[in-house]
Amino acid sequence: MAVKVVPRYGNTLKEKSYIWAVVAGMKLTLKNFTTNLSDTSCIPTCEYPETQPSDITDRYRGLHLLTKRDDDTVRCVACFMCATACPSECIFIEAQERTDGVDEKEPKTFSIDLLECIFCGYCVEACPCDAIRMDTGIFSIIAATREEFIVDKEKLLSHTGIFGKENSLAQ
Amino acid sequence: MHLFMILFPIMLTLIFSLVTIPLLVWMERRVAALIQNRLGPNRCNIKGMRLGGIIQPIADMMKLIFKEEFYPAHIKQKFYYILAPGIVFGAAFLSFIVVPYADDITLDGFTYHIQALPIELGILWFVAIASLGVYGIIIAGWSSHNKYSILGALRASSQVISYEIAMGLAIVSFLITYDSISLNTMVQAQGELLFGFIPAWGIIMQPLAGLIFIVTAFAETNRAPFDAPEGESEIVAAYHTEYSAMKFALFFMGEYIAMSASSAIIVTLLFGGYQIPFLNTQVMHQHINLVLIALLILVPLLSMGFIRWMQKNNSCDLSHRRETKYATILITVFVICFESFLFYLLSSGLSYEQSSVGIMILQILSFAFKVMLMNFVFVWVRWTFPRFRYDQIQHLGWKILIPLALLNIFFTAIFVILAGV
Ligand code: SF4
Ligand code: SF4
Repeated sequence: MAVKVVPRYGNTLKEKSYIWAVVAGMKLTLKNFTTNLSDTSCIPTCEYPETQPSDITDRYRGLHLLTKRDDDTVRCVACFMCATACPSECIFIEAQERTDGVDEKEPKTFSIDLLECIFCGYCVEACPCDAIRMDTGIFSIIAATREEFIVDKEKLLSHTGIFGKENSLAQ
Repeated sequence: MHLFMILFPIMLTLIFSLVTIPLLVWMERRVAALIQNRLGPNRCNIKGMRLGGIIQPIADMMKLIFKEEFYPAHIKQKFYYILAPGIVFGAAFLSFIVVPYADDITLDGFTYHIQALPIELGILWFVAIASLGVYGIIIAGWSSHNKYSILGALRASSQVISYEIAMGLAIVSFLITYDSISLNTMVQAQGELLFGFIPAWGIIMQPLAGLIFIVTAFAETNRAPFDAPEGESEIVAAYHTEYSAMKFALFFMGEYIAMSASSAIIVTLLFGGYQIPFLNTQVMHQHINLVLIALLILVPLLSMGFIRWMQKNNSCDLSHRRETKYATILITVFVICFESFLFYLLSSGLSYEQSSVGIMILQILSFAFKVMLMNFVFVWVRWTFPRFRYDQIQHLGWKILIPLALLNIFFTAIFVILAGV
Protein backbone atom coordinates (compact mmCIF):
# COMPACT_ATOMS: atom_id res chain seq x y z
CA MET A 1 0.00 0.00 0.00
CA ALA A 2 1.41 3.30 -1.02
CA VAL A 3 2.06 5.69 1.80
CA LYS A 4 0.66 9.12 1.24
CA VAL A 5 2.91 11.79 2.67
CA VAL A 6 0.88 14.71 3.91
CA PRO A 7 2.83 17.95 3.82
CA ARG A 8 3.21 19.52 7.25
CA TYR A 9 2.95 23.27 7.52
CA GLY A 10 3.98 25.66 10.20
CA ASN A 11 7.60 24.70 10.76
CA THR A 12 9.47 27.32 8.79
CA LEU A 13 10.72 30.40 10.57
CA LYS A 14 8.43 32.59 8.53
CA GLU A 15 5.39 30.62 9.61
CA LYS A 16 6.55 30.32 13.18
CA SER A 17 7.02 34.04 13.61
CA TYR A 18 3.26 34.49 12.96
CA ILE A 19 3.95 38.02 11.73
CA TRP A 20 2.99 37.34 8.11
CA ALA A 21 -0.14 35.45 9.06
CA VAL A 22 -1.09 38.26 11.43
CA VAL A 23 -0.56 40.88 8.73
CA ALA A 24 -2.53 38.85 6.18
CA GLY A 25 -5.46 38.44 8.57
CA MET A 26 -5.50 42.10 9.53
CA LYS A 27 -5.37 43.06 5.85
CA LEU A 28 -8.37 40.92 5.03
CA THR A 29 -10.56 42.30 7.80
CA LEU A 30 -9.48 45.87 7.05
CA LYS A 31 -10.41 45.38 3.40
CA ASN A 32 -13.87 44.19 4.40
CA PHE A 33 -14.21 47.12 6.79
CA THR A 34 -13.17 49.82 4.32
CA THR A 35 -15.24 48.52 1.40
CA ASN A 36 -18.31 48.26 3.60
CA LEU A 37 -17.70 51.65 5.21
CA SER A 38 -17.21 53.49 1.95
CA ASP A 39 -20.33 51.98 0.40
CA THR A 40 -22.85 50.40 2.74
CA SER A 41 -24.91 49.23 -0.22
CA CYS A 42 -22.51 46.31 -0.73
CA ILE A 43 -23.59 44.82 2.60
CA PRO A 44 -25.86 41.89 1.81
CA THR A 45 -28.04 42.10 4.93
CA CYS A 46 -31.62 43.26 4.39
CA GLU A 47 -33.45 45.77 6.56
CA TYR A 48 -35.64 43.00 7.90
CA PRO A 49 -39.10 44.11 8.94
CA GLU A 50 -39.30 46.61 6.08
CA THR A 51 -37.68 44.39 3.49
CA GLN A 52 -38.88 40.79 3.62
CA PRO A 53 -36.46 38.09 2.55
CA SER A 54 -36.85 37.14 -1.09
CA ASP A 55 -34.70 34.03 -1.11
CA ILE A 56 -36.89 31.42 0.61
CA THR A 57 -36.25 28.19 -1.28
CA ASP A 58 -38.88 25.57 -2.01
CA ARG A 59 -37.28 23.24 0.53
CA TYR A 60 -37.62 25.79 3.33
CA ARG A 61 -39.52 24.40 6.31
CA GLY A 62 -41.96 27.06 7.39
CA LEU A 63 -45.34 26.84 9.09
CA HIS A 64 -47.26 23.61 8.46
CA LEU A 65 -50.34 23.23 6.33
CA LEU A 66 -52.82 20.43 5.70
CA THR A 67 -53.37 19.81 2.01
CA LYS A 68 -56.73 19.16 0.38
CA ARG A 69 -57.96 16.65 -2.14
CA ASP A 70 -59.15 17.67 -5.59
CA ASP A 71 -62.69 17.92 -4.22
CA ASP A 72 -61.49 20.37 -1.54
CA THR A 73 -61.83 17.98 1.40
CA VAL A 74 -59.09 17.22 3.85
CA ARG A 75 -56.50 14.78 2.54
CA CYS A 76 -55.37 13.53 5.94
CA VAL A 77 -56.60 10.04 6.86
CA ALA A 78 -55.72 10.31 10.56
CA CYS A 79 -53.19 7.52 10.44
CA PHE A 80 -51.08 9.06 13.23
CA MET A 81 -47.85 8.48 11.30
CA CYS A 82 -46.80 12.11 11.69
CA ALA A 83 -47.64 12.18 15.37
CA THR A 84 -45.55 9.02 15.84
CA ALA A 85 -42.62 10.38 13.89
CA CYS A 86 -42.65 13.73 15.61
CA PRO A 87 -39.66 13.95 17.94
CA SER A 88 -41.20 16.67 20.07
CA GLU A 89 -44.59 14.97 20.29
CA CYS A 90 -46.42 18.14 19.47
CA ILE A 91 -49.01 16.85 16.99
CA PHE A 92 -52.36 16.08 18.56
CA ILE A 93 -54.85 14.17 16.41
CA GLU A 94 -58.28 12.86 17.20
CA ALA A 95 -59.71 10.54 14.56
CA GLN A 96 -63.31 10.01 13.51
CA GLU A 97 -65.09 7.97 10.91
CA ARG A 98 -65.53 9.62 7.58
CA THR A 99 -69.07 9.47 6.33
CA ASP A 100 -68.96 11.15 2.94
CA GLY A 101 -67.58 8.04 1.25
CA VAL A 102 -64.34 9.56 0.07
CA ASP A 103 -62.31 7.70 2.61
CA GLU A 104 -62.74 5.75 5.81
CA LYS A 105 -61.17 8.01 8.42
CA GLU A 106 -60.49 11.68 8.88
CA PRO A 107 -59.14 13.79 11.71
CA LYS A 108 -61.70 15.33 13.99
CA THR A 109 -59.10 17.63 15.45
CA PHE A 110 -55.57 18.13 14.25
CA SER A 111 -53.46 20.60 16.17
CA ILE A 112 -49.76 21.35 16.33
CA ASP A 113 -48.13 23.09 19.26
CA LEU A 114 -45.72 25.43 17.50
CA LEU A 115 -43.90 26.27 20.72
CA GLU A 116 -42.78 22.67 20.98
CA CYS A 117 -42.29 22.05 17.28
CA ILE A 118 -38.67 22.16 16.19
CA PHE A 119 -39.51 22.43 12.49
CA CYS A 120 -37.62 19.25 11.67
CA GLY A 121 -39.94 18.20 8.89
CA TYR A 122 -40.23 14.59 10.02
CA CYS A 123 -44.02 14.82 9.97
CA VAL A 124 -43.91 15.77 6.30
CA GLU A 125 -41.65 12.84 5.50
CA ALA A 126 -43.75 10.42 7.53
CA CYS A 127 -47.08 11.22 5.98
CA PRO A 128 -48.11 8.53 3.47
CA CYS A 129 -50.71 10.70 1.72
CA ASP A 130 -48.86 13.99 1.32
CA ALA A 131 -51.44 15.48 3.65
CA ILE A 132 -49.09 17.64 5.71
CA ARG A 133 -46.55 20.02 4.25
CA MET A 134 -44.38 22.86 5.49
CA ASP A 135 -44.25 24.97 2.35
CA THR A 136 -46.24 28.02 3.46
CA GLY A 137 -43.06 30.09 3.50
CA ILE A 138 -44.20 31.57 6.83
CA PHE A 139 -41.18 31.80 9.11
CA SER A 140 -42.31 34.36 11.63
CA ILE A 141 -45.10 33.19 13.89
CA ILE A 142 -46.32 35.65 16.47
CA ALA A 143 -48.89 35.32 19.21
CA ALA A 144 -49.57 36.89 22.57
CA THR A 145 -50.41 33.79 24.60
CA ARG A 146 -49.20 30.21 24.67
CA GLU A 147 -52.60 28.90 23.66
CA GLU A 148 -52.55 30.88 20.45
CA PHE A 149 -49.44 29.02 19.37
CA ILE A 150 -51.42 25.79 19.14
CA VAL A 151 -52.72 25.88 15.56
CA ASP A 152 -55.81 23.80 14.86
CA LYS A 153 -57.15 21.96 11.85
CA GLU A 154 -59.07 24.90 10.39
CA LYS A 155 -56.01 27.14 10.56
CA LEU A 156 -53.80 24.48 9.03
CA LEU A 157 -56.26 23.88 6.22
CA SER A 158 -56.62 27.58 5.49
CA HIS A 159 -52.99 28.01 4.41
CA THR A 160 -51.91 27.47 0.86
CA GLY A 161 -48.41 26.53 -0.17
CA ILE A 162 -46.43 29.22 -1.91
CA PHE A 163 -44.83 26.63 -4.14
CA GLY A 164 -46.73 24.42 -6.58
CA LYS A 165 -48.31 21.18 -5.59
CA GLU A 166 -45.67 19.25 -7.48
CA ASN A 167 -43.07 20.47 -4.97
CA SER A 168 -43.69 17.89 -2.35
CA LEU A 169 -41.16 16.25 -0.12
CA ALA A 170 -43.38 13.18 0.19
CA GLN A 171 -44.25 12.43 -3.40
CA MET B 1 -8.84 80.44 36.12
CA HIS B 2 -6.26 78.87 38.40
CA LEU B 3 -8.77 76.37 39.77
CA PHE B 4 -10.12 75.67 36.32
CA MET B 5 -6.71 74.85 34.92
CA ILE B 6 -6.13 72.43 37.79
CA LEU B 7 -9.52 70.76 37.38
CA PHE B 8 -9.30 70.76 33.60
CA PRO B 9 -7.08 67.65 33.26
CA ILE B 10 -9.29 65.78 35.72
CA MET B 11 -12.30 66.64 33.59
CA LEU B 12 -10.38 65.45 30.55
CA THR B 13 -9.65 62.16 32.30
CA LEU B 14 -13.34 61.72 33.05
CA ILE B 15 -14.17 62.45 29.44
CA PHE B 16 -11.50 60.17 28.05
CA SER B 17 -12.38 57.28 30.33
CA LEU B 18 -16.11 57.47 31.10
CA VAL B 19 -17.68 59.44 28.28
CA THR B 20 -15.87 57.41 25.66
CA ILE B 21 -17.37 54.12 26.92
CA PRO B 22 -20.62 54.38 24.95
CA LEU B 23 -18.57 55.54 21.97
CA LEU B 24 -16.28 52.54 22.29
CA VAL B 25 -19.16 50.10 22.71
CA TRP B 26 -20.72 51.60 19.62
CA MET B 27 -17.44 51.45 17.76
CA GLU B 28 -16.92 47.84 18.77
CA ARG B 29 -20.32 46.79 17.53
CA ARG B 30 -20.21 48.82 14.36
CA VAL B 31 -16.66 47.86 13.37
CA ALA B 32 -17.41 44.22 14.15
CA ALA B 33 -20.49 44.42 11.96
CA LEU B 34 -18.69 46.05 9.07
CA ILE B 35 -15.84 43.56 9.27
CA GLN B 36 -18.38 40.74 9.15
CA ASN B 37 -20.38 42.32 6.30
CA ARG B 38 -23.25 43.34 8.53
CA LEU B 39 -24.68 46.74 9.40
CA GLY B 40 -24.62 46.70 13.18
CA PRO B 41 -26.90 48.59 15.55
CA ASN B 42 -28.88 51.13 13.57
CA ARG B 43 -32.42 51.03 14.92
CA CYS B 44 -32.35 52.79 18.28
CA ASN B 45 -33.36 56.39 17.87
CA ILE B 46 -34.70 59.42 19.64
CA LYS B 47 -37.41 60.94 17.46
CA GLY B 48 -35.83 59.46 14.34
CA MET B 49 -32.32 60.67 15.20
CA ARG B 50 -30.12 57.61 15.22
CA LEU B 51 -26.70 59.30 15.04
CA GLY B 52 -25.43 56.25 13.24
CA GLY B 53 -26.44 54.01 16.13
CA ILE B 54 -24.76 55.84 19.03
CA ILE B 55 -28.14 55.83 20.80
CA GLN B 56 -27.91 52.05 21.14
CA PRO B 57 -25.21 51.88 23.87
CA ILE B 58 -27.10 54.54 25.84
CA ALA B 59 -30.20 52.35 25.72
CA ASP B 60 -28.07 49.38 26.78
CA MET B 61 -26.75 51.37 29.71
CA MET B 62 -30.28 52.30 30.79
CA LYS B 63 -31.21 48.64 30.69
CA LEU B 64 -28.29 47.64 32.89
CA ILE B 65 -28.98 50.40 35.40
CA PHE B 66 -32.62 49.44 35.86
CA LYS B 67 -32.07 45.71 36.04
CA GLU B 68 -32.61 43.83 39.26
CA GLU B 69 -29.58 43.52 41.54
CA PHE B 70 -29.43 39.79 41.96
CA TYR B 71 -27.21 38.02 44.51
CA PRO B 72 -26.87 34.27 43.99
CA ALA B 73 -27.64 32.43 47.22
CA HIS B 74 -24.55 30.22 47.15
CA ILE B 75 -22.10 33.08 47.47
CA LYS B 76 -20.44 33.12 50.87
CA GLN B 77 -17.87 35.90 50.58
CA LYS B 78 -20.25 38.64 49.70
CA PHE B 79 -17.74 41.36 50.49
CA TYR B 80 -15.22 40.10 47.94
CA TYR B 81 -17.99 39.35 45.51
CA ILE B 82 -19.04 43.00 45.52
CA LEU B 83 -15.50 44.34 45.80
CA ALA B 84 -14.23 42.56 42.67
CA PRO B 85 -15.98 44.59 39.95
CA GLY B 86 -15.00 47.74 41.84
CA ILE B 87 -11.33 46.75 41.69
CA VAL B 88 -11.49 46.08 37.96
CA PHE B 89 -13.24 49.37 37.31
CA GLY B 90 -11.15 51.39 39.74
CA ALA B 91 -7.82 50.02 38.53
CA ALA B 92 -8.72 50.71 34.92
CA PHE B 93 -9.81 54.23 35.79
CA LEU B 94 -6.81 55.05 37.99
CA SER B 95 -4.31 53.81 35.42
CA PHE B 96 -5.60 56.52 33.13
CA ILE B 97 -4.81 59.53 35.26
CA VAL B 98 -1.08 59.86 34.64
CA VAL B 99 -1.40 60.32 30.89
CA PRO B 100 -0.41 63.79 29.65
CA TYR B 101 -3.04 65.21 27.31
CA ALA B 102 -1.06 68.22 26.16
CA ASP B 103 2.26 69.92 26.68
CA ASP B 104 2.84 71.94 29.87
CA ILE B 105 1.25 75.33 29.53
CA THR B 106 2.22 78.62 31.17
CA LEU B 107 -0.62 81.02 31.94
CA ASP B 108 -0.28 84.13 34.14
CA GLY B 109 3.14 82.94 35.29
CA PHE B 110 1.92 79.51 36.47
CA THR B 111 2.98 76.35 34.69
CA TYR B 112 0.22 73.78 34.52
CA HIS B 113 0.66 70.14 33.68
CA ILE B 114 -2.19 68.84 31.59
CA GLN B 115 -2.14 65.59 33.55
CA ALA B 116 -4.78 64.61 36.08
CA LEU B 117 -2.11 63.39 38.49
CA PRO B 118 1.00 65.42 37.67
CA ILE B 119 3.56 63.05 39.19
CA GLU B 120 6.92 62.13 37.79
CA LEU B 121 6.31 58.41 38.30
CA GLY B 122 4.35 58.21 35.08
CA ILE B 123 4.87 54.85 33.50
CA LEU B 124 5.58 53.11 36.82
CA TRP B 125 2.17 54.21 38.07
CA PHE B 126 0.55 52.70 35.00
CA VAL B 127 2.40 49.39 35.41
CA ALA B 128 1.54 49.26 39.10
CA ILE B 129 -2.13 50.15 38.88
CA ALA B 130 -3.10 48.50 35.60
CA SER B 131 -1.93 45.10 36.80
CA LEU B 132 -4.13 45.47 39.89
CA GLY B 133 -7.13 44.93 37.62
CA VAL B 134 -6.25 41.25 37.38
CA TYR B 135 -6.77 40.94 41.15
CA GLY B 136 -10.34 42.01 40.58
CA ILE B 137 -10.78 39.18 38.11
CA ILE B 138 -9.13 36.65 40.40
CA ILE B 139 -11.21 37.72 43.40
CA ALA B 140 -14.35 37.66 41.29
CA GLY B 141 -13.57 34.16 40.11
CA TRP B 142 -12.84 32.96 43.62
CA SER B 143 -15.83 34.51 45.34
CA SER B 144 -18.27 33.50 42.59
CA HIS B 145 -17.78 30.00 43.95
CA ASN B 146 -18.31 27.97 40.84
CA LYS B 147 -15.98 25.93 38.67
CA TYR B 148 -16.14 28.01 35.54
CA SER B 149 -15.37 31.21 37.40
CA ILE B 150 -12.42 29.65 39.20
CA LEU B 151 -11.09 28.29 35.93
CA GLY B 152 -11.36 31.78 34.51
CA ALA B 153 -9.53 33.21 37.51
CA LEU B 154 -6.80 30.58 37.13
CA ARG B 155 -6.42 31.42 33.49
CA ALA B 156 -6.17 35.10 34.38
CA SER B 157 -3.40 34.40 36.88
CA SER B 158 -1.54 32.15 34.47
CA GLN B 159 -1.82 34.88 31.89
CA VAL B 160 -0.64 37.63 34.18
CA ILE B 161 2.59 35.83 35.05
CA SER B 162 3.34 35.32 31.38
CA TYR B 163 3.03 38.82 30.04
CA GLU B 164 3.79 41.20 32.92
CA ILE B 165 7.53 40.48 32.86
CA ALA B 166 7.81 40.99 29.13
CA MET B 167 5.86 44.22 29.50
CA GLY B 168 8.16 45.48 32.24
CA LEU B 169 11.24 44.60 30.22
CA ALA B 170 9.86 46.32 27.13
CA ILE B 171 9.28 49.41 29.23
CA VAL B 172 12.87 49.27 30.49
CA SER B 173 14.07 49.69 26.88
CA PHE B 174 11.98 52.82 26.63
CA LEU B 175 13.36 54.13 29.91
CA ILE B 176 16.90 53.66 28.57
CA THR B 177 15.99 55.41 25.33
CA TYR B 178 14.26 58.40 26.88
CA ASP B 179 16.32 58.48 30.08
CA SER B 180 13.23 59.32 32.12
CA ILE B 181 10.19 57.71 33.67
CA SER B 182 8.00 60.78 33.38
CA LEU B 183 5.51 60.35 30.58
CA ASN B 184 5.53 64.03 29.72
CA THR B 185 9.31 64.07 29.24
CA MET B 186 8.97 61.04 27.00
CA VAL B 187 6.36 62.74 24.86
CA GLN B 188 8.42 65.92 24.64
CA ALA B 189 11.35 63.81 23.43
CA GLN B 190 9.11 62.33 20.76
CA GLY B 191 8.39 65.77 19.36
CA GLU B 192 11.95 65.95 17.98
CA LEU B 193 12.88 64.85 14.49
CA LEU B 194 15.18 61.94 13.71
CA PHE B 195 17.72 62.76 10.95
CA GLY B 196 15.72 65.91 10.41
CA PHE B 197 12.67 64.37 8.74
CA ILE B 198 11.26 61.37 10.67
CA PRO B 199 9.30 62.08 13.84
CA ALA B 200 11.27 60.44 16.69
CA TRP B 201 8.32 58.37 17.85
CA GLY B 202 8.86 55.44 20.16
CA ILE B 203 7.86 52.92 17.54
CA ILE B 204 10.66 54.19 15.29
CA MET B 205 13.28 54.40 18.04
CA GLN B 206 12.36 51.01 19.55
CA PRO B 207 10.38 48.95 17.05
CA LEU B 208 10.90 45.62 18.81
CA ALA B 209 10.14 46.88 22.31
CA GLY B 210 7.18 48.71 20.81
CA LEU B 211 5.80 45.53 19.31
CA ILE B 212 6.29 43.63 22.58
CA PHE B 213 4.63 46.43 24.52
CA ILE B 214 1.63 46.45 22.19
CA VAL B 215 1.22 42.67 22.45
CA THR B 216 1.49 42.72 26.24
CA ALA B 217 -0.85 45.70 26.48
CA PHE B 218 -3.43 43.64 24.60
CA ALA B 219 -2.92 40.90 27.15
CA GLU B 220 -3.22 43.41 29.99
CA THR B 221 -6.71 44.43 28.86
CA ASN B 222 -7.92 40.81 28.65
CA ARG B 223 -9.18 41.37 25.17
CA ALA B 224 -8.99 39.04 22.21
CA PRO B 225 -6.73 37.33 21.30
CA PHE B 226 -5.82 37.21 25.00
CA ASP B 227 -9.31 36.78 26.43
CA ALA B 228 -8.74 33.27 27.70
CA PRO B 229 -9.90 34.29 31.24
CA GLU B 230 -13.26 35.19 29.76
CA GLY B 231 -13.48 32.42 27.16
CA GLU B 232 -17.24 32.53 26.76
CA SER B 233 -17.23 29.63 24.30
CA GLU B 234 -15.40 27.32 26.70
CA ILE B 235 -16.08 28.38 30.27
CA VAL B 236 -19.34 30.30 29.89
CA ALA B 237 -18.22 33.81 30.81
CA ALA B 238 -15.88 32.73 33.59
CA TYR B 239 -15.38 35.46 36.13
CA HIS B 240 -18.54 37.39 35.36
CA THR B 241 -20.85 34.39 35.13
CA GLU B 242 -22.46 35.19 38.46
CA TYR B 243 -22.67 38.93 38.00
CA SER B 244 -25.71 40.78 36.80
CA ALA B 245 -27.01 44.30 36.30
CA MET B 246 -24.69 47.10 37.44
CA LYS B 247 -22.07 44.71 38.85
CA PHE B 248 -21.69 43.22 35.41
CA ALA B 249 -21.74 46.68 33.89
CA LEU B 250 -18.79 47.64 36.09
CA PHE B 251 -16.77 44.75 34.64
CA PHE B 252 -17.91 45.68 31.20
CA MET B 253 -17.05 49.36 31.58
CA GLY B 254 -13.78 48.43 33.28
CA GLU B 255 -12.81 46.46 30.19
CA TYR B 256 -13.44 49.43 27.95
CA ILE B 257 -11.67 51.90 30.21
CA ALA B 258 -8.72 49.52 30.40
CA MET B 259 -8.73 49.39 26.63
CA SER B 260 -8.78 53.18 26.44
CA ALA B 261 -6.06 53.46 29.08
CA SER B 262 -3.86 50.96 27.25
CA SER B 263 -4.41 52.84 24.02
CA ALA B 264 -3.49 56.07 25.76
CA ILE B 265 -0.28 54.58 27.15
CA ILE B 266 0.60 52.95 23.82
CA VAL B 267 0.05 56.26 22.08
CA THR B 268 2.08 58.09 24.72
CA LEU B 269 5.01 55.70 24.60
CA LEU B 270 5.03 54.72 20.93
CA PHE B 271 3.12 57.15 18.78
CA GLY B 272 4.22 60.52 20.02
CA GLY B 273 1.47 61.13 22.58
CA TYR B 274 -0.16 64.47 21.98
CA GLN B 275 2.47 65.55 19.45
CA ILE B 276 1.26 66.40 15.98
CA PRO B 277 3.87 64.93 13.61
CA PHE B 278 6.53 67.51 12.54
CA LEU B 279 4.86 70.18 14.69
CA ASN B 280 6.10 70.24 18.25
CA THR B 281 5.08 72.97 20.64
CA GLN B 282 7.86 75.41 19.76
CA VAL B 283 7.36 75.02 16.01
CA MET B 284 3.65 75.60 16.42
CA HIS B 285 4.30 78.74 18.47
CA GLN B 286 6.51 80.11 15.72
CA HIS B 287 4.11 79.34 12.90
CA ILE B 288 0.77 79.76 14.63
CA ASN B 289 -0.69 81.67 11.67
CA LEU B 290 0.24 78.89 9.25
CA VAL B 291 -1.42 76.38 11.58
CA LEU B 292 -4.59 78.47 11.60
CA ILE B 293 -4.58 78.70 7.80
CA ALA B 294 -4.11 74.92 7.54
CA LEU B 295 -7.13 74.48 9.84
CA LEU B 296 -9.04 76.98 7.72
CA ILE B 297 -8.54 74.71 4.72
CA LEU B 298 -8.72 71.29 6.37
CA VAL B 299 -11.90 71.63 8.43
CA PRO B 300 -14.26 72.45 5.53
CA LEU B 301 -12.63 69.80 3.35
CA LEU B 302 -13.06 67.10 5.98
CA SER B 303 -16.63 68.16 6.76
CA MET B 304 -17.48 68.13 3.06
CA GLY B 305 -16.08 64.64 2.72
CA PHE B 306 -18.07 63.51 5.74
CA ILE B 307 -21.31 65.07 4.48
CA ARG B 308 -20.91 63.42 1.10
CA TRP B 309 -20.24 60.07 2.71
CA MET B 310 -23.27 60.51 4.96
CA GLN B 311 -25.58 61.46 2.11
CA LYS B 312 -24.46 58.46 0.14
CA ASN B 313 -24.71 55.92 2.93
CA ASN B 314 -27.39 57.20 5.31
CA SER B 315 -30.19 57.39 2.78
CA CYS B 316 -30.99 53.75 2.19
CA ASP B 317 -34.27 54.13 4.06
CA LEU B 318 -36.59 57.07 3.42
CA SER B 319 -37.26 57.74 7.11
CA HIS B 320 -33.57 58.50 7.61
CA ARG B 321 -33.43 61.27 5.04
CA ARG B 322 -34.62 63.80 7.62
CA GLU B 323 -31.73 62.95 9.92
CA THR B 324 -29.24 63.34 7.08
CA LYS B 325 -30.72 66.73 6.26
CA TYR B 326 -30.52 68.00 9.84
CA ALA B 327 -26.98 66.70 10.27
CA THR B 328 -25.90 68.37 7.04
CA ILE B 329 -27.34 71.71 8.18
CA LEU B 330 -25.78 71.37 11.62
CA ILE B 331 -22.34 70.56 10.29
CA THR B 332 -22.51 73.38 7.76
CA VAL B 333 -23.48 75.89 10.43
CA PHE B 334 -20.68 74.64 12.66
CA VAL B 335 -18.12 74.92 9.88
CA ILE B 336 -19.24 78.44 9.02
CA CYS B 337 -19.02 79.58 12.66
CA PHE B 338 -15.65 77.92 13.04
CA GLU B 339 -14.31 79.52 9.86
CA SER B 340 -15.44 83.00 10.85
CA PHE B 341 -13.87 82.48 14.28
CA LEU B 342 -10.59 81.50 12.60
CA PHE B 343 -10.76 84.55 10.31
CA TYR B 344 -11.30 86.74 13.34
CA LEU B 345 -8.28 85.19 15.05
CA LEU B 346 -6.15 85.59 11.94
CA SER B 347 -7.08 89.22 11.45
CA SER B 348 -6.67 90.23 15.10
CA GLY B 349 -3.52 88.21 15.69
CA LEU B 350 -2.84 86.02 18.70
CA SER B 351 -1.02 86.85 21.88
CA TYR B 352 1.47 84.29 23.20
CA GLU B 353 -0.96 83.00 25.83
CA GLN B 354 -3.84 82.78 23.39
CA SER B 355 -1.75 80.76 21.02
CA SER B 356 -0.67 78.49 23.91
CA VAL B 357 -4.31 77.75 24.64
CA GLY B 358 -4.95 77.11 20.95
CA ILE B 359 -1.98 74.76 20.78
CA MET B 360 -3.17 72.96 23.88
CA ILE B 361 -6.57 72.36 22.30
CA LEU B 362 -4.97 71.10 19.10
CA GLN B 363 -2.73 68.77 21.06
CA ILE B 364 -5.66 67.37 23.05
CA LEU B 365 -7.53 66.78 19.82
CA SER B 366 -4.54 65.09 18.28
CA PHE B 367 -4.20 62.91 21.35
CA ALA B 368 -7.90 62.00 21.26
CA PHE B 369 -7.63 61.16 17.59
CA LYS B 370 -4.65 58.90 18.15
CA VAL B 371 -6.29 57.17 21.11
CA MET B 372 -9.42 56.54 19.09
CA LEU B 373 -7.32 55.15 16.25
CA MET B 374 -5.56 52.84 18.69
CA ASN B 375 -8.92 51.77 20.12
CA PHE B 376 -9.95 50.98 16.59
CA VAL B 377 -6.88 48.75 16.29
CA PHE B 378 -7.93 46.98 19.50
CA VAL B 379 -11.38 46.32 18.05
CA TRP B 380 -9.96 45.38 14.68
CA VAL B 381 -7.60 42.84 16.24
CA ARG B 382 -10.41 41.42 18.37
CA TRP B 383 -12.53 40.68 15.32
CA THR B 384 -9.63 39.26 13.34
CA PHE B 385 -7.92 36.75 15.59
CA PRO B 386 -9.12 33.68 17.42
CA ARG B 387 -8.31 33.24 21.08
CA PHE B 388 -4.94 31.92 22.29
CA ARG B 389 -5.00 28.79 24.38
CA TYR B 390 -3.60 29.57 27.83
CA ASP B 391 -0.49 27.42 27.35
CA GLN B 392 0.11 29.22 24.07
CA ILE B 393 0.02 32.50 25.95
CA GLN B 394 2.63 31.18 28.37
CA HIS B 395 4.73 29.91 25.48
CA LEU B 396 4.52 33.29 23.80
CA GLY B 397 5.27 35.17 27.00
CA TRP B 398 8.11 33.11 28.43
CA LYS B 399 9.83 31.67 25.36
CA ILE B 400 9.44 34.45 22.83
CA LEU B 401 8.65 37.84 24.34
CA ILE B 402 10.91 37.74 27.42
CA PRO B 403 14.12 36.66 25.56
CA LEU B 404 13.40 39.19 22.83
CA ALA B 405 12.81 41.94 25.36
CA LEU B 406 16.04 41.05 27.21
CA LEU B 407 18.03 41.07 23.97
CA ASN B 408 16.49 44.38 23.10
CA ILE B 409 17.53 45.91 26.44
CA PHE B 410 21.03 44.54 25.92
CA PHE B 411 21.45 46.08 22.48
CA THR B 412 19.80 49.34 23.47
CA ALA B 413 22.16 49.67 26.44
CA ILE B 414 25.21 48.92 24.28
CA PHE B 415 24.06 51.45 21.72
CA VAL B 416 23.45 54.11 24.33
CA ILE B 417 26.89 53.57 25.91
CA LEU B 418 28.69 53.52 22.56
CA ALA B 419 26.87 56.59 21.33
CA GLY B 420 27.97 58.19 24.62
CA VAL B 421 24.68 59.86 25.29
S1 SF4 C 1 -41.77 19.59 12.13
FE1 SF4 C 1 -40.92 17.99 13.46
S2 SF4 C 1 -41.36 18.73 15.51
FE2 SF4 C 1 -42.65 19.93 14.15
S3 SF4 C 1 -44.58 18.85 14.10
FE3 SF4 C 1 -43.35 18.08 12.40
S4 SF4 C 1 -42.33 16.29 13.18
FE4 SF4 C 1 -43.08 17.43 14.95
S1 SF4 D 1 -51.07 14.20 8.30
FE1 SF4 D 1 -50.44 12.41 7.19
S2 SF4 D 1 -49.32 11.18 8.65
FE2 SF4 D 1 -50.38 12.70 9.83
S3 SF4 D 1 -52.29 11.64 10.41
FE3 SF4 D 1 -52.73 12.78 8.52
S4 SF4 D 1 -52.38 11.27 6.90
FE4 SF4 D 1 -51.39 10.46 8.74
